[in-house]
Amino acid sequence: MFRRALENKQLVAGLALGTVVLLLGIIGPFIFGDYAKQSLSMTHKPVGTPGFMFGTDGLGRDLAARVTFGIRISLIVAVSVTAIAVIAGTLVGLIAGYVKGAVDTVISSSIDFVWGFPLILVAVLAAASIGSGLVPVILAVGMVNTVAIARVVRGEVLGISEREFVVAAKSGGYSTPRIVIRHIVPNIIPVVLVLSSYYVAVAIIAEASLSFVGLGAQPPLPSLGQMVSDGRNFLRLNHWEATIPGGIIFAMVLSVSLIGDGLRDLLDPRLRTAVERAVNK
Amino acid sequence: MTAIVKQALLTFLLLMLSSLAVFAAIRLSGGDVTAARLPASATAEDRELFREQIGLNKPILVQYVNYLGKVVRGDLGNSLTNNAKISSLATEKIKNSLILGGAAIVMVFGVGIPLGMLAASRRNTWLDASISSVSVAGMAVPNFWLALLVVWLFSSTLGWFPSAGQGGFKYLVLPSLVLAAEGIALTVRMTRSAMLENLSQDFVRTLRASGLSESRIYFKHVLRNSLLPIISLAGLRVGQIVGYALVVETIFGWPGVGQILVNGVLRRDYPIVQFFSLVLVVVVILGNLAASAGYVLANPRLRK
Amino acid sequence: MITEAPLLDIKDLSVGLCAKNVAYDIVRNVGLTINHNEILALVGESGCGKSVTALSILQLQMSPPLFITSGSIVYDGRDLTKLSKSEMRSVRGSEIAMIFQDPMSSLDPMFTVGALLTSAAYAHQSVGKDVAEKMALEALADAGIEDPERRFNEYPFQLSGGVSQRVMIALALVNKPKLLIADEPTTALDVTVQAQILDRLKELSKNRGMSIMLITHNLGVVASVADRMAVMYAGEVVEMGAVSDVFDKPQHPYTTGLLGAVPRLGGAASDLTPISGRVPQPDELPIGCAFVDRCSRALVQCSTIRPILQVRGRAEVRCHNPVG
Repeated sequence: MFRRALENKQLVAGLALGTVVLLLGIIGPFIFGDYAKQSLSMTHKPVGTPGFMFGTDGLGRDLAARVTFGIRISLIVAVSVTAIAVIAGTLVGLIAGYVKGAVDTVISSSIDFVWGFPLILVAVLAAASIGSGLVPVILAVGMVNTVAIARVVRGEVLGISEREFVVAAKSGGYSTPRIVIRHIVPNIIPVVLVLSSYYVAVAIIAEASLSFVGLGAQPPLPSLGQMVSDGRNFLRLNHWEATIPGGIIFAMVLSVSLIGDGLRDLLDPRLRTAVERAVNK
Repeated sequence: MTAIVKQALLTFLLLMLSSLAVFAAIRLSGGDVTAARLPASATAEDRELFREQIGLNKPILVQYVNYLGKVVRGDLGNSLTNNAKISSLATEKIKNSLILGGAAIVMVFGVGIPLGMLAASRRNTWLDASISSVSVAGMAVPNFWLALLVVWLFSSTLGWFPSAGQGGFKYLVLPSLVLAAEGIALTVRMTRSAMLENLSQDFVRTLRASGLSESRIYFKHVLRNSLLPIISLAGLRVGQIVGYALVVETIFGWPGVGQILVNGVLRRDYPIVQFFSLVLVVVVILGNLAASAGYVLANPRLRK
Repeated sequence: MITEAPLLDIKDLSVGLCAKNVAYDIVRNVGLTINHNEILALVGESGCGKSVTALSILQLQMSPPLFITSGSIVYDGRDLTKLSKSEMRSVRGSEIAMIFQDPMSSLDPMFTVGALLTSAAYAHQSVGKDVAEKMALEALADAGIEDPERRFNEYPFQLSGGVSQRVMIALALVNKPKLLIADEPTTALDVTVQAQILDRLKELSKNRGMSIMLITHNLGVVASVADRMAVMYAGEVVEMGAVSDVFDKPQHPYTTGLLGAVPRLGGAASDLTPISGRVPQPDELPIGCAFVDRCSRALVQCSTIRPILQVRGRAEVRCHNPVG
C-alpha cells in the first residue's frame, strides 16, 4: 500500500509542500529571532534586504521571523482545534449512530441546529460575546467542526451497524464496547482521516480570516491573517508584507487539501477502474 | 408536502432559538454597555442603577421578549458609536448585502455548473486538468488574500475595476467574484464528479440503447441526475457566502450587513451587533430552508 | 429447403480489451447468425464473453477500453461495425433493441415511465405528443403491464423488479424493432416472475415476427424458450445448432459437461457431474483449444492447434474430438 501511496501525485505534492511549510514553522523562529523587535529605521524593506530575508514591515520588524512564527500559531490552532473536534465529534457520532433511539434524536437535533451555520459568523459572535483573541476562535471553530464531524461519523456508523458482521457480533453476545472498538472504529478511520485533513484546512482559513478583520490573535502575536491586513495598506510600497503571509496561508491550505484528497483516493475501496468495470460485465 | 410544512415549523423554532442564543450571548457580556454609556468616573452603584433603568438585570428571556417586541414595532435601538437609529440604517445595509450575495450565488451556480459539465465532458484532457486544478486552488486560497490579489491585478495594475466602495455595476464585479470564488470551485468539483459518476450508470446505457443522442443524454438525463447532490448542498453555499461576506465587505468597503457587523464587534457597539447578527442568522436559516425545499421538489422520491 | 438470408450475421467477430498494460481479446472469432422469427439463445458461464458480444452488436460496449478488433456484424445488408455514430443511433431502439439484466438500476430515476417511453419514440419518429403517448401506452400493454395509464405517470423507484423489467421491454418495443437482444433479462428477478417474462417474450416474438437473441447461463430457460442455441466458452462459440438437437446429442465436451451438471427432477444428487478445473483467464489462454485442461477427451493436437468451428451432423462444433 505504501507503493500506491507514493504513486498518488496529490499525496506526494501535498506532503512535500506541507513538510516545507512545517519545517519553516518549526525551525524558522530559531533562525530568525525575535518577531517583536522593531527597527524604526528599517521599515518597509523588500525581500532580499541584507539581514532581513523577507524584508520588514511597517514597524521594521523582521518579516521572516514574524511569518515563521505565524506558521506556528496557525498550525497549533488548526491542529489542536481539529484534534478536539475529531475526538469529540467521533465520540458523539459513534454514540448517536450506534445507540440510536432517543439519544440519537437528541444528538441529531442539536447537530442540525448548528450544522448550517457559517464558521466565521459563529466565530464573530463568539468574539462579540467573549472578546477578541484566540480563545473565541478556538471555541467557535472547534464547536462547528465537532458538529460537522459528528454528523458524518454518525452516518457512517449507522451504515456500518446494519452490516452483517456487526449484526452477527451483536447476536453472538459480544459486549458493546468490544463491538464498537474492534469492528466499527476500524471502519470509520478512513473517513475520519480524510475529514480531519479537510477541517484542518478549514480551521487555518478561519483563523486567518478572523485575524484579518481584527478578531483573533491579538498583537504583538504575529498572526498571518493580521499581517496580510496590516500589509494591505502598503501594497504599492512593499507588497511583500501582504503577499508573503498570504502566500504561506495558501501553501498551508493547499498542502493539507492535497493530502486529504490523496488520502481519500488511496483509502476508497469503491474506486474501480474502467478496466475492471468493463471486464466484469 | 407535509415534509416541507414540518420543515418550515422546525425552521421557525430554530429561528427563535438561534436569535435567543445570539441575544443571550451578547447581552450576557454586556457589562461594557455601561462602560460605553457612562463616564469612567461612574461608581459601581451608578452602574447598577443604570442597568436597572435599561432593564439589563431582568431575566434573559424577559429581555429577549422585550427586544422582540421592540423589533416588531420598528424600534431597533441606536448605534452606540454615533447614536444613529438602526432602523434607518437597516434597509440600506440589507439591500446592499442582498445585491452582493445574490450576485455571488448566481455566479456560483451559473459559472460552477457549466464549468463542471465542461470538465466532465472533456475528461482527462488538458482542459479538464486545468479546470480541476484551478478549482482545487480556488478552495485553498484564503479569500481575503484572493481579494487583495484581485484588487492588485484588476484595479491597481489594469485599472479595469474600482477597488472599493459602491456605485454601479463596476463596483459589484470584484467583490462578488471574490465572494463566489470558493463556492464556484466547490460547485465545479461536485458537478464534475456527479456527471462522471452518472455517466457510468446503467440507465445511461439503456438510454443509448433506445437511440437517444449523446447530447440529449448528457444535457437532459445525466445533468438532471447530477443536479440533485448540488441542490442538496445549496444551503451550505448560502451559509458560506454569508460567512465570507463579513470579510469581503470589509475589504471592499461594501456598505452591507457584514461590514457594519464586523465594525460593530470591533467597537463593541452592542445594539448594532445584536440586530445585524440576527439578520444574518435569519438569512442563513431561511437559505437552508429554501435549499431543503428545493431538494424535496427536485427529488421525485421525496415528492410522492 | 429455401433458406432466406439471416436477419443478423456476425462473422469472425473479435473484441479486445486495450488498457494501460493489457491487450487481449475477450471475444475471439465469434460467428453467429440469427434468422427471421427465431429465438437464439447465447449460453455460457459468466465471463465467457456473451454479454460483450451482445453489447458490441449495438456498439454499446465501453470503448475505451473495449474495442472491436476484427470481424463484421451484418444487419439488413449493412455492416454495423462500419456505421457512423448517427447511423448507429438510428439503428438502436428502432431496428435492433436491447434489454438488460438489472431493470431497477437501468431506468433513469428522475423521469417518469411515460417520459422515458416518449423520449424513445421521439428519438426515431417525428410524432406529436398524443401519438407518442399512444405508442407508449401500447408498448406498456404489449409488455404485459396491467394498468398502463397509471404506470405511465410513475417513477422507476415505485416499480417492483418484474414491472421494471416489463417497462424496459416496453421501452424496447416502442419503435417496433425487428431484433430484440435480451441480456439475462430474468436473472435478477423472482422465479415466478421469470417464467411470466419469458412467456411474454416468446409471445411477442411470435406475434410481431420479432427475433430475439437471448443471453443466459440457465439451460432451463434455453430449453423452454429458444429455437436455436450457441454455446460460448472463453470467448469462442464452441457449439451451435437447434436446441432440440444440441440437447439430444451434444457434441462438444463442454456442452456435454454443462448438460450433465444440470439437475433434473427425479434424478439423484449423485447424477450431477461438475466439470473439473476452472475457466482460463483471457490472458492465460492456451495456444490450442481453450478447453483442453478440463477435457476428458483431449487429444495431442488439442494443446497446440486451435480447432475451428465446423458443421458436423446437424450442428456446428469447435472440437478435434467431438462426442458421438
